[in-house]
Amino acid sequence: MINTSPFIHDNNSVQKLMFKVQLALLPALIVHVYFFGYGIVIQWLLGLITFLIVESIMLKLRNRPVLPFISDLTAVITISGIAFCIPPNSSWWLIVTAVSFALIFGKHLYGGMGYNPFNPAMLGYAFILISFPVEITQWSLPIAISGQELTFINTLQLIFTGNIPNINIDQITGATPLNSMKTGLTTGTTILQTLNLPIFDNNLPYAWTQINIAFILGGLWLLFTRAINWQYPIGFLGTIALLATIFHYIDPHTYAPASVHLFSGGIMLAAFFIITDPVTSSTTPKGKLVFAIGIGCLVYIIRNWGAFPDGISFAVLLLNMCVPFIDQYTAPRVVGYKK
Amino acid sequence: MLDWILKLISLIYPMAKRGLKKFNGGIFPKSHKDLSNHHPIVKTIMPKELALPLKQHIGIAVEPLVVVGEKVLKNQLIANTEDTSLHAPIHAPTSGTISAIEQRQLPHSSGLTGLCIIITTDGLELEIENALKIPNKVPTEPNTLKNIIYKAGIVGMGGAGFPTFAKIPNEKNKVKTIIINGAECEPFITCDDLIMQTYAKQIISGANIVANALGCNKIICGIEDNKQQAIKKMRQAVNNEKITIKSIPTIYPIGGEKQLIQEILGIEIPAGSHALNSGILVMNVSTVRAIYQAVIEGKPLTSRIVTISGTGLKKPYNTEAMLGTAFIDLIKFAKPKMKLNYRLIQGGPMMGFEVQTNQVPITKTTNCILANTPQKKTATMPCIRCGECMDACPINLLPQQLYWYSKSQEFEKTEKLNLFDCIECGCCSYVCPSNIPLVQYYRFAKAEVKKNKSEQKATSLAKLRYENKLARQEKLKVEKANRLKAKKEAIKQKSLADKDKNITATSSTPPMSAREKALAAAKKRTQQANQITPDKASPAKATPTKAATTAIAAAKKRAALKKIKQQTPNKDTIEDSKPDNRKKAIEAEKKRAALIKTKKSQE
Repeated sequence: MINTSPFIHDNNSVQKLMFKVQLALLPALIVHVYFFGYGIVIQWLLGLITFLIVESIMLKLRNRPVLPFISDLTAVITISGIAFCIPPNSSWWLIVTAVSFALIFGKHLYGGMGYNPFNPAMLGYAFILISFPVEITQWSLPIAISGQELTFINTLQLIFTGNIPNINIDQITGATPLNSMKTGLTTGTTILQTLNLPIFDNNLPYAWTQINIAFILGGLWLLFTRAINWQYPIGFLGTIALLATIFHYIDPHTYAPASVHLFSGGIMLAAFFIITDPVTSSTTPKGKLVFAIGIGCLVYIIRNWGAFPDGISFAVLLLNMCVPFIDQYTAPRVVGYKK
Repeated sequence: MLDWILKLISLIYPMAKRGLKKFNGGIFPKSHKDLSNHHPIVKTIMPKELALPLKQHIGIAVEPLVVVGEKVLKNQLIANTEDTSLHAPIHAPTSGTISAIEQRQLPHSSGLTGLCIIITTDGLELEIENALKIPNKVPTEPNTLKNIIYKAGIVGMGGAGFPTFAKIPNEKNKVKTIIINGAECEPFITCDDLIMQTYAKQIISGANIVANALGCNKIICGIEDNKQQAIKKMRQAVNNEKITIKSIPTIYPIGGEKQLIQEILGIEIPAGSHALNSGILVMNVSTVRAIYQAVIEGKPLTSRIVTISGTGLKKPYNTEAMLGTAFIDLIKFAKPKMKLNYRLIQGGPMMGFEVQTNQVPITKTTNCILANTPQKKTATMPCIRCGECMDACPINLLPQQLYWYSKSQEFEKTEKLNLFDCIECGCCSYVCPSNIPLVQYYRFAKAEVKKNKSEQKATSLAKLRYENKLARQEKLKVEKANRLKAKKEAIKQKSLADKDKNITATSSTPPMSAREKALAAAKKRTQQANQITPDKASPAKATPTKAATTAIAAAKKRAALKKIKQQTPNKDTIEDSKPDNRKKAIEAEKKRAALIKTKKSQE
């Protein structure tokens, strides 16, 4: 076997890259636990167990070596993405279904890592969002609002049995800020009135703002270490901020201000962790920007005029489909050629 | 100002350095240059034996002018060719005896063997002074300079090996800018650095010689800013305002010809074109020094500065090595840390190649011998389309798409994505987190495309030949048929004429009317029908048959004679022209190959 040049390498690896991303999610995880309790930790562990089982079986079925592919950590990012999206205290089978679907249909059936056209996490989430809409909209209220701090054991009980003795479930669940705005508009409540609800704090979604800031911190570190490209957050957040500002200026009663949009739901998770998934996004520098702007537009459209309170998963999946098209028309000029 | 800000940013965000230069991408591998750039150039080592490959350049191999057993002197011309194809003559690096002319392993990426002249050295260094017989004055015309450079056997010493004389235009004032390449961006290599530190004056004066001969007024020498000593020495050596020493950012592959031009002059050489068309001549510092030695000292190219470095060596160094010295002889002096049971690398770690055996000799293009202890290979993972390769590509290609198409063997698509503009610098492979040997895929795709094209050409040629053959056969058939027809016609006419003669001779009856004629004919028919046997023997009937046969025989004879007459000279001409044609074909082929190679090297 002849070795060919180059004989040196910068020692980067897929595993290292994915580990970095995972590490960058840690601040948001801590903040999430602070506001919503241990739910997400249990969900994440459930996802991890599901992943280990599903991935091993799939790799075996596909005649691939299990160890190198299971240890590449890409699936762990998928789990984290889903865990942050679903209600933290939702039933155990929800995340198991989402992760299984994401890994089997989103990844392995397309040929495994690197070959999937759709973002697996978003595919898994969209699947349960459509299949079990009630469960998904039953969000836990932040501890400070519900006044009920569940112990780890209680949370475990809630996730596996669906109830906890002596606690009324309705007391700890409620609508998300985005949901409140949407349902508010249908009952004639203006956005400005909705912003006075207890789930908003200083006109910003309570708890969500803090989690989103934690995502930003992790995301900035990823940008700094070159794990992700700047085009995604800039294009995505810029588009949403711009659209929200314009529409809020036109009609502040129906359209929430940009700050609410940017700090509610999983916007920052999407900006730095979801749409940055290289496998399913555009590859050219300009294409990445187009891709991010496209998702931004769709998210804003679905949030305001769609049937769902948040539309990140659909927006991402739709733009995933456009990637080959975007790539085709955004190829950079090769040195020595006129465009 | 911007550079200053970028440098500041790069302290915490290293990749900001990419903004310091004008071309796209680039990488910052660990340079390892401090391994070998502290020590002065070590004096030439005298090996027992030198193996000089007859092809150390781009073009055709030269032919030995010496025989086994012959004594040679240092600088003596030992191989050259009368052929006009691209080549560079070879001189003896030291005095000694020709001990063999045989096939040896060459320093080649695919481990080719080639004819080498083996000199057993005598250690006396008996030298021919002014071996190139240069006149006492500096050349003022491009052709005079070209001639000296050709006779000295100088080739591009940065690694390409393109005969330097062929790079120089015949006309004066065609070259507007001469760029001296002192970038040396590959890790580990420090030979150009040391040359600039040690022979700055020779380089500057060599550059002046070239500029004067070509009527060029602008010389820019680009040196990476990690070689401060070299920059200092070169600046000190500058003796006129034509020359500028430019410090350029340290980034791989800034030493690539097109990248260097882009950095220094800010212009892109159009794809498929050559720098010379834009009035730019790029030369490596080693090449310029070799030109100085040839023009001023009359010395042909018989040695070069080589870096012997690597993580596997205790004492890396630079030396002025005689061409033909075996790698292993030079490595020994660097004290390898472990037994050399691994392959050495010729060139740098980014674009060099592993040699098949460590016995291969130094050639005119060997700038570095690298002994890096083998490392565990990391497994290749699937491409995750992260785009790092694209950010690193100096040509702005789409490496990952090229990879997909190379892998799936869709070579037409790779060509559309400008595969052939790839300079194989290795930046993409270097940054790939999945450890995919991208460059290797492109080499494969390039080879396949070339193979397919030549096959296509061959098939279309074969088809054309076959069609021509069919057409020729058809033509011959028609001609033959026509000839036969004509012959038959002739015989018929003749026999008819003979018959007429017979008839006129036998019957002296006056002309008959049509009715009488018909009657006579009918009578004749009945007569013939009645007496078959006597008719056959009748002499009147026999005469025309005889006449016909004799006529046919005569015609045949004539035809045969004609054939022989036609064939004999024809045969001669064919036999004469055959080797002629072959020679011509071979020559044409050689020329074409040379042209292709020239193009390749230009690319």
